[in-house]
Amino acid sequence: MQGPAPLRGRPPFALPEDSTIDAILSQLPGQLLDGFVRGLVYVAIALGLTIVFGMLRLVNFAHGAFYAIGAYVGLVVAERYGLAAGLIVAPLAVALFAVVFDRVLLRFFYDKEPTAQILVTFGVALVVQESLRLYFGGTTRSFPIPAALSVPVNLGFTQYPAYRLAFAVGIVAIVLLVWLFIQYTSYGLIVRAGIRDRTMVQLLGGNVALASTIVFALGAGLAGLVGAAASPIYSVDPDTGFSFLVPSFVVVVIGGLGSFWGAVIGGLIVGELQSLTTLVLPAASDVVIYVAMALVLLVRPSGLLGESEVIRG
Amino acid sequence: MNVRLKPTRGQFIVGGLAASAAVKFASINVIAAPKTLVVGLNVPQTGPYSDQGQDQLRAYRLAIAEINAKGGVMGMQIEESVGDDQTKAPVAVENARRMIERDGAVMITGGSSTGTAIAVSGLCQEKKTIFMATLTHGDETTDLNCHYHTFRRYNNAHMSAQALAKTLLAKYGTGRWFHITADYAWGHSVFDNLTSVVEPKGAKTIANVLMPLGTTDFSSALSQAQAAKPDVLVITEFGKDMVNALNQSAQFGLTKSAKILVPLADEYMAKGAGDNFDNVVTTAPFYYKYQSDKYPEAKRFVDAFVKKYNSPPSNGAECAYVDMYQWKGGIERAGSLDPKAFIEKMEGFHFTATKGPEYWRAWDHQGINTVMVLEGVPVAGRDDPFAFAKVLEVHDGDAVAIQQSTSKCKIEDS
Repeated sequence: MQGPAPLRGRPPFALPEDSTIDAILSQLPGQLLDGFVRGLVYVAIALGLTIVFGMLRLVNFAHGAFYAIGAYVGLVVAERYGLAAGLIVAPLAVALFAVVFDRVLLRFFYDKEPTAQILVTFGVALVVQESLRLYFGGTTRSFPIPAALSVPVNLGFTQYPAYRLAFAVGIVAIVLLVWLFIQYTSYGLIVRAGIRDRTMVQLLGGNVALASTIVFALGAGLAGLVGAAASPIYSVDPDTGFSFLVPSFVVVVIGGLGSFWGAVIGGLIVGELQSLTTLVLPAASDVVIYVAMALVLLVRPSGLLGESEVIRG
Repeated sequence: MNVRLKPTRGQFIVGGLAASAAVKFASINVIAAPKTLVVGLNVPQTGPYSDQGQDQLRAYRLAIAEINAKGGVMGMQIEESVGDDQTKAPVAVENARRMIERDGAVMITGGSSTGTAIAVSGLCQEKKTIFMATLTHGDETTDLNCHYHTFRRYNNAHMSAQALAKTLLAKYGTGRWFHITADYAWGHSVFDNLTSVVEPKGAKTIANVLMPLGTTDFSSALSQAQAAKPDVLVITEFGKDMVNALNQSAQFGLTKSAKILVPLADEYMAKGAGDNFDNVVTTAPFYYKYQSDKYPEAKRFVDAFVKKYNSPPSNGAECAYVDMYQWKGGIERAGSLDPKAFIEKMEGFHFTATKGPEYWRAWDHQGINTVMVLEGVPVAGRDDPFAFAKVLEVHDGDAVAIQQSTSKCKIEDS
């Protein structure tokens, strides 16, 4: 019933009127930029997902809920005190929520089967989603872009919204900061060691529990920040978390579970694939990322930068 | 040694898929008691069209509460069986099947998409159960896929395009038209109807980017639109998808560089788009500000709705409300729950409710009523956030509807 309708002799995709390869190529730089910016959203969300998995071996289906809480907190604070305040409060509020969630509930599931982890995190995600619906109603909400950033910027090869460019620069900076944290701080050392062998770090006296909580709060805070920063681009509603959760899992699977740069590369691949597909076959722009995931799983089951599965005894 | 249980990659993926599947299940609640009539309210409460679905649900519940308070339908109280169709045809069909088979629903109503409406219509024909399709605007519901048991009162894409014709050529000119279209039955139907109206007059369609239902980021399509420098940008999207597409168009500067046409909109979409809806031309079958000033029944409905829910009804809610009363009236005129008797009393039935005189066409079960052409006003000029438009034209339904000679509807005998 949703099959293709006759399109009056035109191809079912967007080709400029002269329909030449040159015309498509002329659009390419703009689409590549768009794919990059779009990919950064996935990078920032998937990063939290993957470092939490790496450190805690936790499959966290509540990650999308962190995004949604961040979006709503950001929206409420921004409406009263401006967008900048929203961008500061949202990640802190979500990180705090994550710490409470971790200490009160999640820590009892660290050593449980992954199915139990999935059930409890998925359950929390549903509780968050329905709580947001109960409190804020189901209506779509959005926050206007600050006037200074509401116009497109002429980059020569394309005109691109100023807010999206600022958003992209911010995410690149944050990804680098997270990388520096993991690479060069003592907590980062525990995190990296914990990803490789959690038990050994504990035997050596490392405070894995504290590092785990910090990593969990960091991952959640990142999702919350993206939620708040993206609310002027995407409208916000209680289902918003799930709409970003699934592509983020695809990103993590493509990049490799637990791999920092895997999430970065996976996110950018997904963003570019969606943008470029929209240029030639927009109707397939949703499904293309799942095709990519299937191909990666066939060719390299551990993901592009993931390590092979080690069976521990 | 403490052995940690680590999820394998396979478990991770299988678990993920299983968990994703779990969220697809729609909940259906029903409390059935003797001497009641169960009606199935099958609307999206989640997903891209959930604002519209939830508002329809409010209207159904208002109508049911009013009807029950006045003695019900032939002495029987109406009970609801509610399902969230998520704007997905398979979910909508599964909901309707459960409503009919498990809960004994004698009528199914709802929907915010032509995709779900066509699917549910097919099931209701098979089950010989009345389907009052509300918010479905694609032609197919009462054209190619019309069915004996289905009635649709909402305007369709053909009516909207015909009603728009004069305004489009006067305000938008012929020029180069760039379309961003929802990729399913409704979007295709609107695109075909619009182009068949404006192309013969000289408008040039330079692209039609078909985007999947539920798209949140339209940037790559808008980037193409910007490069193409169109005179007119047509956004045939609905619900949250339209809000995102229009707001993002503004970020790309397209609301200034091109004229924007949104062929169908409602109060929630216009509220979500805020000032970006300023000057945008659209169509709607009902606008609470307009009809409540003209028709007492519309005023009574709008007042009751505002009193109960603190917000005015969207045009889909109005259709839901009137559909519930139309079903009640049909049953009472037939004096029976027999679908055939009901349908015979509905076909060709003339009535006046919230919009002035209207009727149900016998040969395709399309409701023939007025189509409005509206133009968005800025937020500062609105009495309330939902009062989004000024009325440009009101067209008589018969003048813009598909004629029998060109219709593809071949309705069954039973």
